[in-house]
Amino acid sequence: MAQLGRYRLLTVLITIFIVTAFVVGCAPQEAPPEQPDVEDTTTDDTTDDTTTDDTVAKTSIIILIPDNPAEFHGYGAGTGFEEAISEMVMLSVSEIDDLGNYFPELATEIPTVENGGVVMDEETWETVVTWHLREDVYWEDGEQVTADDVIFTWDAFLAAEIWSSATDATEYVKKIDDFTIEVKYYYPNPEYAIHFGGEDFPIFAEHFCDADQGYYEWDCNRQPLSDGPYILQEWVADDHLTFVRNENYYEEGKPYIDEVIFRIVPQESVKRAMMDEGDADVHYWPAENNALSYMEEGNGTKFAISPTERWVMKIFPNLKARGDTPGEETIPHPILADKRVRKALRMAIDVDTIINDIFLGFGEPVWSEFFRPPFEDSCGIPRPAFDMEAAKALIKEAGWEDTDGDGVNECHGCLYAEEGDLMTMEFMIYAEYGETLEFAHQFIAEAWAALGIETKLSIVEGAVLWAQVEDGGIELAGNFDINMWDNGYGGVDPTSYLWDYYYYASDSEWNLANWTGEEAETVAALVDELYSTDEEYRMEVFCDIAWILEEELPAIELFSTLEMFGLSDRMQGVKPTAFDILTWNVADWTVSE
Amino acid sequence: MPRKADVKNKTMKSPETMSSLVWRRFRRHPGAMAGAIILAILILSVLLAGLSPFDPEISDIKNRFQPPSGNHLFGTDGLGRDVLVRILYGGRVSLSVGFLVVGISLAIGVPIGSAAGYFGGWVDNVLSKVIDATMSLPALMFMILLSAILREIDAPFLKSNSTLTISLVLGVLSWPTAARLVRAIFFTFREMEYVTAAKALGASNLRIIISEILPNGLGPIIVESTLGIGYAIMEESTLSFLGFGIMPPTPSWGNMLDKAQEHLSQYPWLAIFPGLMIFLAIISINFIGDGMRDALDPYKILAQIDE
Amino acid sequence: MGQYIVRRLLQAIPMLLLVSILLFALVNVAPGGPLSQFSRSRRMTAERAESLKRQFGLDKPLTVQYIVWLAGNDWMAIDTDGNGITDSYGTRKGVLRGDFGFSYQNREPVLPQIMDRLPNTVYLMGLTLIVVAIIAIPIGIISAVKQYSAFDITVTTLSFMGQAIPEFWLGLILILIFYVGLDNPVTGKSLLPGGGMYTIGAEFSLIDRIRHLILPVSMGVVGWVAWWSRFLRSSMLEVINQDYIRTARAKGQNERKVLYRHALKNALIPLVTMIMIDFPYVFTGAIVVEQLFSWPGMGRMYYDAATSRDYPMLMGVLILGSMVIILSNLMADIIYAYLDPRVRYD
Repeated sequence: MAQLGRYRLLTVLITIFIVTAFVVGCAPQEAPPEQPDVEDTTTDDTTDDTTTDDTVAKTSIIILIPDNPAEFHGYGAGTGFEEAISEMVMLSVSEIDDLGNYFPELATEIPTVENGGVVMDEETWETVVTWHLREDVYWEDGEQVTADDVIFTWDAFLAAEIWSSATDATEYVKKIDDFTIEVKYYYPNPEYAIHFGGEDFPIFAEHFCDADQGYYEWDCNRQPLSDGPYILQEWVADDHLTFVRNENYYEEGKPYIDEVIFRIVPQESVKRAMMDEGDADVHYWPAENNALSYMEEGNGTKFAISPTERWVMKIFPNLKARGDTPGEETIPHPILADKRVRKALRMAIDVDTIINDIFLGFGEPVWSEFFRPPFEDSCGIPRPAFDMEAAKALIKEAGWEDTDGDGVNECHGCLYAEEGDLMTMEFMIYAEYGETLEFAHQFIAEAWAALGIETKLSIVEGAVLWAQVEDGGIELAGNFDINMWDNGYGGVDPTSYLWDYYYYASDSEWNLANWTGEEAETVAALVDELYSTDEEYRMEVFCDIAWILEEELPAIELFSTLEMFGLSDRMQGVKPTAFDILTWNVADWTVSE
Repeated sequence: MPRKADVKNKTMKSPETMSSLVWRRFRRHPGAMAGAIILAILILSVLLAGLSPFDPEISDIKNRFQPPSGNHLFGTDGLGRDVLVRILYGGRVSLSVGFLVVGISLAIGVPIGSAAGYFGGWVDNVLSKVIDATMSLPALMFMILLSAILREIDAPFLKSNSTLTISLVLGVLSWPTAARLVRAIFFTFREMEYVTAAKALGASNLRIIISEILPNGLGPIIVESTLGIGYAIMEESTLSFLGFGIMPPTPSWGNMLDKAQEHLSQYPWLAIFPGLMIFLAIISINFIGDGMRDALDPYKILAQIDE
Repeated sequence: MGQYIVRRLLQAIPMLLLVSILLFALVNVAPGGPLSQFSRSRRMTAERAESLKRQFGLDKPLTVQYIVWLAGNDWMAIDTDGNGITDSYGTRKGVLRGDFGFSYQNREPVLPQIMDRLPNTVYLMGLTLIVVAIIAIPIGIISAVKQYSAFDITVTTLSFMGQAIPEFWLGLILILIFYVGLDNPVTGKSLLPGGGMYTIGAEFSLIDRIRHLILPVSMGVVGWVAWWSRFLRSSMLEVINQDYIRTARAKGQNERKVLYRHALKNALIPLVTMIMIDFPYVFTGAIVVEQLFSWPGMGRMYYDAATSRDYPMLMGVLILGSMVIILSNLMADIIYAYLDPRVRYD
């Protein structure tokens, strides 16, 4: 019987334990969610004929995203969701709309030469830009948004020592008065109009953020102070973020939707199902097969797409031997250093089939960086043909041939490899894009295999592919042969993008192809020419660059893709853009009944 | 402990009777027999995969997502590849993972368990700590980490999550089970008279371990190993679902099932067939293990011999 | 007994150290790291990278990094602002004092983030465990007592099937049927929600909570019940076939009394051990369930950390997970010793 007593005791103990665990589990959520402190004055400009006057139906939408955003800050994070949520609460001085036009946000207008906002010294090329700020924008705590906030943010950005084309060009940023800022550049900065704006440059509040904590680390990245259309009300990590309407938003009557919820749902198929069931309103970046299903009419959902292409699917060949980081030594890549091989690789890729059958039509063939406005007709560069026979001939010409019949070419008089070496390389993509890219990956590898080029396929996380050299970052360390991922420049001007990716002499580690030599130097000199105000001349220079890139192929552009979203039928006013993040015009969104 | 000594003596005396008895008992287990037959069919068909006219890794883009038909019995996948042939090749990979994992865990677990159980004392103390430490790692989480790391380590054979890499990842955590089992067996048998006698006759430790004690544990080791194959196949599929399993284009049942989830409502055949394969393989392996456990149970054998 | 517990607790310490050294070494050979977050299409100056490394203490040898990780650096002079001069004492307290460092992803301390998700996981997995126990224990007992009955055969077959279904596959099917397929006849909405812990923005409601629990709990329950009931069945059978039960039966004792007084009691010992061994799942959670059902728990957080190579976070979760496992095993041993008088405390 003593035994039995022990069992009872044990049972009681276990029960108590489990119940405690359960209660602990429930406790933090048991508190009812905080109600937004909506003022009693019900704004009735949108809903005036409701039968029950005192209970105006609250409009609420749900946006589905796959990852927990790390913070309210676009600059330090790479997923885009950080940018999307920071656009909800913070304004920039200027922005770009979905058609690629600059528009002022905190500023009263975009400074131009015509309105006197931009003045260039013809002798020294030094340029002064003057910004005038709106005087009717307030932070949610009642403080006014002033020039101090802009300068504060810029100083914090500088202190973080992250390079941007603007940091190099800028001589000073100074406050003229509370609502006027003067910026002086050493030379014309082609991207001056979004110096304090764009998708990843929100203005932070000087009185709220602690500069000592640093631009990346400060607490206001996680507890943002809003001057934008919405105010963060609740953030349950890994679950959802709730934003409520900013009653004091500077644009009268906006935003129209009372509550915007970002819900974090990792599984793509579950997101699609939630849209079908009417449990969500925006499916952020759906997979291509789901995008296609959103295009079909009549199931309660619809499809939204940016008017211009945003991303360019590109192949990055490494022109130097693996692991040979840019700098002193230059051991050419045994296979890829020969531009005939690169040309043959491109010729063997059936871009049309990839776009139409794998990407389900979501994409346009692209063969140059300069494919979208303001550039016309890819600077006249003709579209390269898909031609397996020509590719085979070119590979043979380059000195690669399969003489032993094992299906893989060996070097027979090739330029950079030992005689008899096998034509074997690694071909890498990143995991986050999903199945479509994996299909394209395998499809391209197959075509190359038909040329006698053996590729080992690998898929890695973006966090490793793009990491710093010290952290084993594959690309920056040059530890790859061929990579494929979607790249391309944001905004409308590719100058700093070119500087980053093709300027061999810069400290840029992003010269991923490790491209050097005479032509690379020519391109570098041409990029320097781009810091000019003569638009016509710049266009010429851009096209000169385009032709050299076409000839040398330090990167192979395949096709461009658009920004795509699935929407519920009731969503109105959503304008996906290639130049900014989806929520750039969230204040204009409405829901129809 | 007289009974176990009896088992040992009887084993020694009549090996033929013993194995035929085990076989007879195994045969009487309907689930086990069914399992064995299904598994045999699976293994056979997987081995014969090469006879198919289709290649598992060559795409046929114009025929993507074809439903099952006379030409493609199980339909085609997102690159137009025949699902049946991919399942067969995937079966090679999945079953290889199963066997490799068991092989790895035996290769690590048996020596360690033997040493710990045979020598006891500080050897046992140290080895047990290692066993316990390994067992105290949260399994799935650790496998994810290991797989993520191995994926980018630039070592021959290990890159790109090959069959061998994933088997290593799974095997690194599964050997302690084998080690513990072997250790327990040694604890039971090392004090036996015949072991002492062998020692007195000057047999080396290695010899005693291998030929005197280890054979006694064969039954439970076989049972555990059989079940281990099933666990490994299941774990590989879970890792694949989370994106840390075998890398495409190499098919495995796990990664095929993973890729199918996006198209579950549109192209259900992509999910049904690999799912069915995993289900069949694991259920038959478990039944075989169960039958073996019954058949190899020393008490039951003893009872039968006594009858 | 008390001495035994203390001794076992002391033995757990070197074990944890061993685990932590292993994990630390592993994580440090891995690619990806604290500076990765600054990378994509941004450029960091070499000086900045150097200074960040010094700030994170990554320029020190591994042994020093381990000691700092374990015991903190507030007792040693370090280079806080990354200018190359060791100017002041560090601020890290070390794992031993509950400081698991900062997550690379959002630069927030690791431990509070873990503590933030832990209740959600305990809530889901604890309930799953309870449901499993409620279903599996009676099934296991009955099928052992009525060995080879129709019930036993059905249950055994079902449990074999339950163990052979991939968990995530089952979850997807559940979502397809109960979220996408079936509708609530009254409201016309989905019968059960497809994920999350509760309806966002709604008032707390028990029914809403339960509705959100049904699918994820069911998904976890199937395999687990199959496993437990089979285990309980075989340990019951082992006991039933033991000599003293036979003796009790032979003595003509009431069958029911024999079964419940003697057999069940002894079969429960391995069951309790098993519960304790599975108990850590309540804390470490189930990555697959949380991933499928958008459940904001430990498993999800771990998975995200793994894909973005957030090593402090991974280390934190793994170390805490190991701790729970070691403690649970310890508890299992103690309970075993407590229940089974045959075990000597040595």
